[in-house]
Amino acid sequence: MTLELVVLIKVVPDGKEVFVDPVNFTLNRSMATNVLNPADENALEAALKIKDEHGARITVMTMAPPFAEPFLLECMSRGADQAVLISDRAVAGSDTYPTSLTVAAAIKHLGKVDIVFAGEKTSDSSTGHVGPGVAEFLEAELATYSRSCRYEDGFVIAERELEEGVEVVKIPTPAVVTVITDSNNPRRATLRKKLNAQKKGIIVWSLQDVGLPSDWVGLRSSPTVVKKMLPFPAIERKGKVIALDMIDDFVKELVDSGIIKRGGN
Amino acid sequence: MKIEDRLSLLNYKIDKSYAHITVKPDICETCPDHFCTFACPAKCYTLIDAKLNFKYEDCVECGTCVVACAHGSVSWTNSKGAHGVKYKYG
Amino acid sequence: MSEFDAIVVGGGPAGTSAAMRLAANKLNVLLVEKADPPGSKNVSGGVLWGNSLSGVMPDWEKTAPLERYVKSKGIGFLTKDSSIDINFRSTKFNETKTGYTVLRTKLDQFLNKKAKDAGVTVVTGVTVDRLAFEGKKVVGVEQDGDIITSDAVILAEGANPRVAIDSGIRPPLKDEDVAIGVKEVIKLPEKTINDRFNLREKEGFAGEYVLGFLDGGVEAGGFLYTNKDSISLGVVISMKHLRENNKTYSYDIVEQFKNHPSIAPLLEDGKVDEYSARMVQEGGLASIPKLYGNGYMIAGDAAGFSFSNGLILQGMNYAIASGIAAADTVVEAKAGSGISEQSLSRYEEKLMNSFVLRDMHTFKGIGDITWGSLIHQKMPGVLEKVMLGLFMEDGEPKKHVNQIVKEALKSSGLKSSKLLLEGYRMYKRM
Repeated sequence: MTLELVVLIKVVPDGKEVFVDPVNFTLNRSMATNVLNPADENALEAALKIKDEHGARITVMTMAPPFAEPFLLECMSRGADQAVLISDRAVAGSDTYPTSLTVAAAIKHLGKVDIVFAGEKTSDSSTGHVGPGVAEFLEAELATYSRSCRYEDGFVIAERELEEGVEVVKIPTPAVVTVITDSNNPRRATLRKKLNAQKKGIIVWSLQDVGLPSDWVGLRSSPTVVKKMLPFPAIERKGKVIALDMIDDFVKELVDSGIIKRGGN
Repeated sequence: MKIEDRLSLLNYKIDKSYAHITVKPDICETCPDHFCTFACPAKCYTLIDAKLNFKYEDCVECGTCVVACAHGSVSWTNSKGAHGVKYKYG
Repeated sequence: MSEFDAIVVGGGPAGTSAAMRLAANKLNVLLVEKADPPGSKNVSGGVLWGNSLSGVMPDWEKTAPLERYVKSKGIGFLTKDSSIDINFRSTKFNETKTGYTVLRTKLDQFLNKKAKDAGVTVVTGVTVDRLAFEGKKVVGVEQDGDIITSDAVILAEGANPRVAIDSGIRPPLKDEDVAIGVKEVIKLPEKTINDRFNLREKEGFAGEYVLGFLDGGVEAGGFLYTNKDSISLGVVISMKHLRENNKTYSYDIVEQFKNHPSIAPLLEDGKVDEYSARMVQEGGLASIPKLYGNGYMIAGDAAGFSFSNGLILQGMNYAIASGIAAADTVVEAKAGSGISEQSLSRYEEKLMNSFVLRDMHTFKGIGDITWGSLIHQKMPGVLEKVMLGLFMEDGEPKKHVNQIVKEALKSSGLKSSKLLLEGYRMYKRM
């Protein structure tokens, strides 16, 4: 039976073109163009690698207004088989809770699923909630912060990159894997595949299609309340250039000034 | 304003798997003029200890260097897959 | 049977105009642009002169993202200490707009969207490798090993025509063909710009400068155009002269221009918001490659279409007009005998009958003048001396103008007979 893979994506403003409004600390996106969330490119590539090895059907999915269509087509032209856009006015203002709920409902609506891939987080809000949230609503296993993963007889074996080190986990499918940014080299779309994707087009689902009542989603069903925005002060770094043969002196300086500690023994 | 500061204003999507320009170090080593270092508007070509150093990451894809190099060292191709410089005004 | 009637490579003004014109004639068109979003790799000075866009978009002046219309046109000769300017302002420019300042990322994105709306299949973010041939006939384009077929290909890939070069249909560029264009976009409040340039809302200034003060005899022209709330400023540097100099950095020259005592006050408190560069086609007629062959045509900057006589610098209108001419050639060929080298030769005829190639013929050899030591080295110095002779009150007895001019010429080492000859040549060719 064909492996069924789902990749969750989000269209975000290009982080390099967004700046923080100095007065009310909101993000000024007026000059920013939209891009695929960087980690999602790596999530798609992780799924494509499994497809290369085992064969699979990949469905790319996002919940967004219609402007997300070209980005879904881009994913198809990199190798995804179909794309679903969940688009409904009622979901406007949803935080990560109703978003996870809606996406999970859409995945269920799709039918059997083996592995759901998502980026570790989005570059515009950085919560990292939706992947784990979807796992919860699907009652699926979860591996976050994966830097590489493979599929083996009903199991996903994922290397998780954590602060303390790398943890290798083996979890049964259905599973959700969130993929860290820059963990692989996303393949390029070709002109032929781009044309095919345009010809094929995307699938658009409303809330009704995925079987969710509209009062379960949207701003009013979102528990998050933003009370205040605070600036994160930039830390001025004392840049210092060290000649290679001065490394010993520099280490001593760092130890003396208490920036680093001498190791045991 | 230093060129480094001007380049830092730019948004690049750097292609880690493909360098769209390559140079042939053996040719650059014997180059009498290193005109590339004067011509390239993005300071991709610099001399470090009299040795040519090239980096494609700051390239603004103008194509000047391949005309500037009279010694056949520079191979120039278009960037791929919307990688490279991304202007907001142009 | 080809997949497309025509493939257009490049989503700038030439490519989008060609694609729109083809689609308007009910042809099945593919437009491929390497940048995503389209326009994000494109740079112009940028004034869009003329009304060529009306050929594909009659209401472009109302709908396109234009910054300001040119109300005031300047020409300046800059020496180390002085500037000698001619500024022409006319209410005639209110009635018939001659040019608009534009920012290409915005404009090209708009043009690509219009092409899509017109029924063109627009694909962005993918780079065509080369033309696909069957024998000597172009049958489409090649990308990553795939061939996408079409009856005709219009190459409108801009100033750095890699596809044309790599397909062997045009020679690589040489020093004589191009100049190095370096530009900055400097943010300033709209009102500040209006005050400094004596403009009202929507009115703009476009100035061209001879930079006669550059170190080491480098020859470069400067430009300064006002956008709504920014200034586009840059330099166009002769590749040939920069090579002869071989000690000045291209990126420093634009700073020298910005720091000139006549320019710096115009930019005060402005914030540099973008730095950009491109090659500028400067070779004139001598740089134009073979424009068509069996199954293909070259349009816009890729074909070397641009115009500069020292007073004005134009490219986009030539790009648009040539794109439209290429599209019309495809339309006529398909309706007639079909696509062949013979039927596409009509492209060159069309250009010969329009300003595109006419201007290039009329101003053949203008490069010797615009890139010559007379204009760049001698003229600014002579003018400065004449002006100082006229206007500097130093307590000495006054002289007749002819005496002032004679002395200025003498100190510059220019013989008046040579000046007359050079001046006459220049006058004739301009």
